[in-house]
Amino acid sequence: MEKKKNSVMNIVCIILPVIAVLCIAIGWIAFSTANPRLMPGPVEVFQRFIRTFTNPVARVILPGHIWASLRRVLIGLIFAWIIGIGLGVLVGWNKKVRAVLGSVLELLRPIPPIAWIPLVIMWFGIGEFSKVFIVFIGTIFGLIVNTSAGIKLVDKINIDVGKIFGGNQRQILTEIVVPTALPSIFAGIRTSVSSGWTTVVAAEMLGAKAGLGSLVTKGWQGNDMALVLVAVISIAAIGALLSVLLSKLEKVVCPWNQI
Amino acid sequence: MAGADLKLLGTDYQIWKKKQRREAGQYYLLCLVGIFCFFAIWQIAVTAGLANERLLPSPLQVFETIIEKFYQKEPDGNTMLVNICASLQVALSGFLLAVVIGIPLGLVMGWFRLAEAFFRPIFELVRPVPPIAWIPLVVVWFGIGLQAKALIIFFSAFVPCVINSYTGIQLTNRTYINVARTFGASETEIFRKVGIPSSLPMVFAGVRVALGNSWSTLVAAEMLAATAGLGYMIQQGRTLARPDLVIAGMVVIGAIGAVLSGILSYIEKRLIKGQKNESN
Repeated sequence: MEKKKNSVMNIVCIILPVIAVLCIAIGWIAFSTANPRLMPGPVEVFQRFIRTFTNPVARVILPGHIWASLRRVLIGLIFAWIIGIGLGVLVGWNKKVRAVLGSVLELLRPIPPIAWIPLVIMWFGIGEFSKVFIVFIGTIFGLIVNTSAGIKLVDKINIDVGKIFGGNQRQILTEIVVPTALPSIFAGIRTSVSSGWTTVVAAEMLGAKAGLGSLVTKGWQGNDMALVLVAVISIAAIGALLSVLLSKLEKVVCPWNQI
Repeated sequence: MAGADLKLLGTDYQIWKKKQRREAGQYYLLCLVGIFCFFAIWQIAVTAGLANERLLPSPLQVFETIIEKFYQKEPDGNTMLVNICASLQVALSGFLLAVVIGIPLGLVMGWFRLAEAFFRPIFELVRPVPPIAWIPLVVVWFGIGLQAKALIIFFSAFVPCVINSYTGIQLTNRTYINVARTFGASETEIFRKVGIPSSLPMVFAGVRVALGNSWSTLVAAEMLAATAGLGYMIQQGRTLARPDLVIAGMVVIGAIGAVLSGILSYIEKRLIKGQKNESN
């Protein structure tokens, strides 16, 4: 009796997700046929997707736009990782640096990354550099905070053991403190990737020649909702892909993080 | 540091205590020095002409602009208070809606298998879309009123609320559930009296993230489509080439965000403490 109930339950649990996805699809089709001007249907979106290859927007095909956005995020992130993790280690390790630099960082941190965009555009225009800079400034505070929190959490007894065995400051830092803080540093990296991706889309929506965010704005201004949806779906797909990649990478970089 | 700790023996307690206090004092002094240096360098850079004043106004000027905005409507057409109220209204309505819908959904999803099987795929499909990317669709559907902006904020706050309550309730200790079952509690009672309380710390962490998200998404929503609010003020400052207005807006946004998160941690402390007393 109990067994039978369980197997019924299992079948239901396999069918329900399918029903859920079908519900969304049917809802989308119903809404788009009722209000074709407000929301294009799935078929229309797919056709628009094909057309981004045959009839490129701003003379760039869709993968080109994706690459433009990805490149900006990547360059900004690499700088943010190097500088942010470096500063985070310094702030977490040295009390004096924490007092002087940490207070200033605490002052700047509550400003949302998106709020930097207008100022950065005023300073550097809407070129490539300002996008990269926005990603950099939007992600660096989180990286510093995560890294320094991880460094501060290191058990004091481990540091003392390192001292007793005659390790110098540099050895203790690179061989005891940083490995212990690695999971927390990696959490910072994960957050930085997703917030960097969101920030670059916002920056591109406010002004860019290429990139997924600019596709959204172009579709919006040209009343081409299918193009907007193509861009939004691509943004979501790439965001999801990045987060899957990072959790795979996390398993490789710090396997001791898994329970 | 370690040497000082080792020397610490009974009678040295007061000396140690004094040293600690002195170190704490030094720490705060250094904090002040850091902040002072930051503003001093900024001010000197501007007055010495190292930075272009048309691009980077001095901190004093920004401060003046903030004060001025409280009684002057120019140039964006609203005083600071009107802008703050407009922004708070939008952000809080979207945020509260997300809390009210997202937390119960997450809890139910984490506890009941059938609900998980149905809602999880829908949620996973919607989740990776950045809230900002919803803006064009939402604006086309609802215009640029409060409704539209609140919906965008809702999307940004909804995701962390659901994820955290979902994970939080799934981490409920099996032993507690079994104890409740042994004592004859019904399934709904276990959900209400064991599952929900044990998930609360995680839920609150989610609410905190949600609040941060909604406040930062607000700026984007208002920059793209609004007639009042702090984001709108920043955007106007940019088009009118008034960097002092832009920085003033950033400062006010940062300050209010910090205050909101402070209020939230106060509530969290009160609520979770109450939970502990109840279980005692």
